Amino acid sequence: MITLVTGGSGSGKSAYAEDVLTGFGSCERIYIATMYPFDEESKKRVERHRRMRAEKNFTTIECYTGLKHVQVPKGACVLLECMSNLTANEMFQEDGAKERTVEAVLEGIEALDAQAAELVIVTNEIFSDGIEYEEETRRYQKYLGEINRETARRACQVTEVVYGIPLTYKNRTEKTDRTGEISDETE
Amino acid sequence: MQLIIGGAFQGKKEYVKTMQGFEEKEMTDGADASYEDIFSCGCLYHFHEWIRARLLEGRDLDDLEKELSVRNPDIVLVSNELGYGVVPVDAFDRKYREAVGRICTRMAAAAKRVVRVTCGIGTVIKDA
Repeated sequence: MITLVTGGSGSGKSAYAEDVLTGFGSCERIYIATMYPFDEESKKRVERHRRMRAEKNFTTIECYTGLKHVQVPKGACVLLECMSNLTANEMFQEDGAKERTVEAVLEGIEALDAQAAELVIVTNEIFSDGIEYEEETRRYQKYLGEINRETARRACQVTEVVYGIPLTYKNRTEKTDRTGEISDETE
Repeated sequence: MQLIIGGAFQGKKEYVKTMQGFEEKEMTDGADASYEDIFSCGCLYHFHEWIRARLLEGRDLDDLEKELSVRNPDIVLVSNELGYGVVPVDAFDRKYREAVGRICTRMAAAAKRVVRVTCGIGTVIKDA
């Protein structure tokens, strides 16, 4: 099952996504980190997230490009953070998928979803500042927008975190009623 | 404490006036307010600008919500919701954008009510 968590910068997305993941109970927890630590600022950011995950028993796997090659233990609970970095890596890194970025990321998500019991994906809202960017940045927004829409379509839950407050727009979870039948509930 | 958020020009101040009965003269503009001003006003708007000015002063805001809860617990804070765009190229812009996010997240946790205003319409997203 896929849970998609989105929101603006500094909105508490990561903390919420970790809560969702730990809420699944005792399962093997895998954290897939996508931010390439290229300077001091990104190293600090990585450090901050590492501290947040400390004591929650996550095993960290680094993946900057080629998500579909990542192997996780069958039935693990996986936190993938975040789509905006992975998309930028695929577009701009030497070994990235370039114009096949959207396909590469979606194939990766599909491969992970097939292995994991639960997959929580953190993405980012980068679409509403009204600034006219150059071609390359616009293409980045377009690619990430496509990835977000496609991931949301496949997800059982889609939640935007606004300053720590989760706003859930889609919630389709399988629930067993008293007769033991599985019903698909949408709210 | 109450926190009113939303994009620029969405009618956040109007919302506060209509829904909370504030008058313009009772509202303090965070863009020209000092650090101390936040503890003596009923409503501070442009809270994001107030945060920006404090960052430029190099002031530590780690205990702001605690201090507000003691000194001005009924304040209404109005802030632009930043951080819905591409990561800025300039380092201070990045720091500012993230600081507003982190601080508003803490304020939202401390607030009894959080309202998000879009197109002049307020949606209560927290009502504790």
